[in-house]
Amino acid sequence: MRRSAADPLGFGDLNARFADTLHKLRQAASVEVGCSAKRAVWSRGKTTLYRYAPLAASGTSGRAARHARPILICFALVNRPYILDLQPDRSLVRRLLEAGHTVYLIDWGDADDSDRCTDLEDYLERHLGGCVAHVLASHDLEALDLLGVCQGGVLSLCYTALHPRQVANLVTLTTPVDFHTADNLLSKWVRELDSDLIRATGNIPGEVLNALFLSLMPLRLAQQKYVRLLASNADQRAVEDFVRMEKWIFDSPPQAAAALAQFVRWFYQENRLLRGTLAIGGRPVNLRDIRQPVLNLYATQDHIVPAAAAAAMEHCIGSEDYESCAIDTGHIGMYVSRAAREQIPARITSWLQARR
Amino acid sequence: MSSAFKPEAAFASAAEGFFELMKSFGAQAGAGAGAAPDPSALAGSLAGQFEQWLRATQSAGPWFSPGAGAGGNPAAGFAAAFKSGGGSWPFAPLPLGVGAVPQAEGQRSFELLTQLAQLQAQLAGHWHEIATSAATQFAARLGSLAGGVPTPDSAMKVYELWVECAESAYGAAVRKDDFARLQSQLANVSAALLVEQRKHAESLARAFGLPTRNEVDELYGQVRELRRELAALAQAPVAAKRKTVARKNAGRGTRARGRRA
Repeated sequence: MRRSAADPLGFGDLNARFADTLHKLRQAASVEVGCSAKRAVWSRGKTTLYRYAPLAASGTSGRAARHARPILICFALVNRPYILDLQPDRSLVRRLLEAGHTVYLIDWGDADDSDRCTDLEDYLERHLGGCVAHVLASHDLEALDLLGVCQGGVLSLCYTALHPRQVANLVTLTTPVDFHTADNLLSKWVRELDSDLIRATGNIPGEVLNALFLSLMPLRLAQQKYVRLLASNADQRAVEDFVRMEKWIFDSPPQAAAALAQFVRWFYQENRLLRGTLAIGGRPVNLRDIRQPVLNLYATQDHIVPAAAAAAMEHCIGSEDYESCAIDTGHIGMYVSRAAREQIPARITSWLQARR
Repeated sequence: MSSAFKPEAAFASAAEGFFELMKSFGAQAGAGAGAAPDPSALAGSLAGQFEQWLRATQSAGPWFSPGAGAGGNPAAGFAAAFKSGGGSWPFAPLPLGVGAVPQAEGQRSFELLTQLAQLQAQLAGHWHEIATSAATQFAARLGSLAGGVPTPDSAMKVYELWVECAESAYGAAVRKDDFARLQSQLANVSAALLVEQRKHAESLARAFGLPTRNEVDELYGQVRELRRELAALAQAPVAAKRKTVARKNAGRGTRARGRRA
């Protein structure tokens, strides 16, 4: 920044930079998110299952033959899955496609009033179960590889425990298992929520979730990043990258009341998954029933899913083939940071390859 | 896409806060005729801005923040959600007037609103405590950063230190049991108010012969039950066929062995 005796702090320069960045932000307002070609192959209610088109370049068809078993990605209900395919250089999906995997992804869609009573059993058995059945039938397979992300990882753990024969390998990314670790602020805040009241209120708007997540670190998440953008003198491309992330952060879908109330009560308040007291649709969910290979990836600086909450999986599952990988980043960094981009796709691919 | 998604507004608001910090920084230095800024005066000024910002953006936690995203309040709760949905603010009187609401129900809403105001006052106490603690930490750590004539780079470093201290103070306060309890209470009272408001709407719906939410929920329950029965019926022939095939195969196997013998 330029400064002079009359303007030692460089206000003039900063003002110009402010105007320039604001202009770039406005230019970037309509930036696209999601980059890889995909088509809807199955749907139920608001849930859509997508299959990504294989990449034509770099001889992936040969590699695809090696990775015949498809990967089904189960994302969280509380965020949009396009973060996994945000843009060409920030796309876990694209890296997996490049490695020759066949990739499917579940988009839970936007719950509306007709979904108010949709509960976790519906999401697990009818929606996730429907996606699994479709993929298995399409490939004439008995089992697929399941990649669960965040809350979707919790659903994946439950599904694998309930239907172990349909999952060959399980990969979890930022997935909490112990919801009562001391550093879990979200868990502390919702500990005395009245879940019956949540259910009675109706679907929870996405804005409430956005606000809740930002409230965990308000100054960092709602101020500092913008000041850093100002200070960095970002070019148009960097501003567009920034806006894509912003779009995702402020794009939480509305939550079906019944499912959210159950999730808050069973997982956050009563920690049933860890305690082995969880039952879905009357069927007990016992993590000891997970005996297939498990790769557990989590972040060391995660403010939403603390590392200890994810690492607790090791002592709960029945698998003897368990591997974990802690990456030095935060929750969102697990999807877009350089460290994650360099490590996660390669780790998943090599781990799966070793188990084909 | 959420109505709170206005990055340029949030950016403008954050930049404004940063300019304020720089002005305080410059003013402190100016007051000392080129000398280093006074840490406690700078910390006091920042703490004041922080508390004001917390009151404006986090007035009642994420559950009940009436301000919308514009102007840099991305943390907008139920209220903003209702505005964005084109609906009216849910806790305001119904458009058909107070007479439409039975008195006992109106009384309950009033009690809940009073309770909400009390909880918000408690929250304001926390914001003050957080801002004061942040200022103390900041003044203690400013040290060498405050030395010499302020420059743009040193202003940025001061800002980063301020964020660190403010988040540290915030993190320590919001992890305490009483704050966590307050968050739950705020959410519960906000939800109870919404439910209460819906009750009023239900009475009106009933009066106009429209199905109520409870009735629709019951219908959904019936659909769900029917869906389960249908799934069981669809599974039954498949299971029966499997059994028959298994029985036939077993029989064939016996015959084959018999023939070979």
